[in-house]
Amino acid sequence: MTSRRIALLASAVFMLWFAGCAQMSQVASGEVVVSGRMVVNLDKPWNQFEQVMGDGIPTWTQDGVTVDTLKFYVGLKNGALIAETPSEPKGQAPLAFRSTMQTAEIVTLFERLYSRGGSSFTLEKVVPHRFVDTPGFRFEFSSIRKSDDVRLRGVGWGAVRNGELFAITYTAPRLAFYPAGLPSATSIADSARVRQ
Amino acid sequence: MRRRQWLQWGCAHCAMLGGLAQAQSEWTMPPRLPRPELSGEEGGLWAMMDREETRLRRSPFRVRNAELDKYLAGIACQLGADHCPDIRVYTMRAPYFNASMAPNGMLQVWSGMLLRLENEAQLAAIVAHEIGHYVQRHSLEQMRDAKARAAFATAMAAAGVVGLVGMLLAVGGAYAFSRDQERDADRIGVVLMRSNGYDTREAPKVWANLLDEVKANPDSDPALDSVLFATHPTSEERRDALQRQAAQAGGRTGAAEYRATLAPLRFGLLEDEIKRGRPAESKVLLDRLLASEPDSAELLYFRGEALRHRDAAGDKTLALADYDAAVRTGRPPAPTYRSLGSLYQSMNQPDAARDAWQQYLRAAPDAPDAALIQQAIGDIK
Repeated sequence: MTSRRIALLASAVFMLWFAGCAQMSQVASGEVVVSGRMVVNLDKPWNQFEQVMGDGIPTWTQDGVTVDTLKFYVGLKNGALIAETPSEPKGQAPLAFRSTMQTAEIVTLFERLYSRGGSSFTLEKVVPHRFVDTPGFRFEFSSIRKSDDVRLRGVGWGAVRNGELFAITYTAPRLAFYPAGLPSATSIADSARVRQ
Repeated sequence: MRRRQWLQWGCAHCAMLGGLAQAQSEWTMPPRLPRPELSGEEGGLWAMMDREETRLRRSPFRVRNAELDKYLAGIACQLGADHCPDIRVYTMRAPYFNASMAPNGMLQVWSGMLLRLENEAQLAAIVAHEIGHYVQRHSLEQMRDAKARAAFATAMAAAGVVGLVGMLLAVGGAYAFSRDQERDADRIGVVLMRSNGYDTREAPKVWANLLDEVKANPDSDPALDSVLFATHPTSEERRDALQRQAAQAGGRTGAAEYRATLAPLRFGLLEDEIKRGRPAESKVLLDRLLASEPDSAELLYFRGEALRHRDAAGDKTLALADYDAAVRTGRPPAPTYRSLGSLYQSMNQPDAARDAWQQYLRAAPDAPDAALIQQAIGDIK
């Protein structure tokens, strides 16, 4: 066993320990500022992870992050990653946003994210949609999570404003959880604006 | 190395090869394995695998294609001979190269592996290898070894940080142990291929092809970068050993049958390959597939996609050439036009982008992104 493999296993043990200790706090209903830039209105309280799996993307949930997740991508600049690139295996293209990207390319970034590790991703629909007072897009997708075979549904709203990406995605198991959480997620996305 | 040492080394390996040849000629398929008593450790292992098989059978990742199932079952039956009634093959949707055999006869093949194989003989090499694991009851050996290691790891875990390292070493050693079993299964695989009339020279090609893909990444180390190579003999070793065993062989490859069976599924498998997000490896794979099917519109389209996503210097031009070549076949997949439009747009050629996108909408009016493309065309006008 190489030292590199030992390090990998040790980091996996650490991540499990870290995940168990992750702090969660409640976000009260009303107006909330996410990452200091995106203002949203909540129709009900959500749970927020203080530290989110190391990717720095604010993540909220109603029933736990393995069930439903609402993720906020706030003001990602040219070259910023929508998720960290795993160190192993090598050769994985980084999921980097570029300010010149066309909408289809941005949606492809999310497709790659949700396809990681062999999960499936099917784009159901992508349409023009105004988001953060900017012409943007809305996409719907379905996915099967590889780790537990759970069928998910998802929706994302996004726009590029002054070269920065603003987006929100919501995913949950397609039966019961997704329909239950979608209205609140939609109302949050509809209320989103960028703080000047 | 001194001459004497070199001679000793050479003789040792000649003896080993001689032994190998003898082993090959003497190896005979053992009789069918009786179902073990549930109360024993092997019975417990089978029961666990039976539960896993129930899950697998219902899994949304199972590829359900009657023709493919029949084809794979036929090959497994032919190679497994008397063991045929005990082996069940499941194709799982996973864009990676892998196959595995459980002790109860449940054989999984992953869709990424099917995409990579070139003919029936290569498929037979994998299936025969897995049957080798089954008839030699390698899982039982592995379980006994893992139990011994787990006991050691538990003892080490009580010793704090030093114990943690010991525990990790013990767990890692469990993987190293399986390499001998892999070599054994390789040896049996070649025997079964030969006795069933397959060209055994196809077996080493499987590993050589896979190695080419992994090496497409800068700074790659196959032994570290691939789970498969990490827990198996290195593919160089495997390729070389199989080449020695397969030398002088002849037989059928079954390329046409294999391609025909896979054809209805291949577009989806290629989509999964691109979504895997490892475009350098995908390009190597597609170069290889295109070498035998240079006019395949779908392969040209997907190589264009790999190049567009890799986005290295000159890749846009190469992708454009592939998309154009796909269009020239007269039967390009509809998304070829969408990608052409995006590429032209990124190259600041709006008229060409508009024309390509209009073609896309004509070819796929109900595409999930039709409204978005319509808007993009409107923005150009």
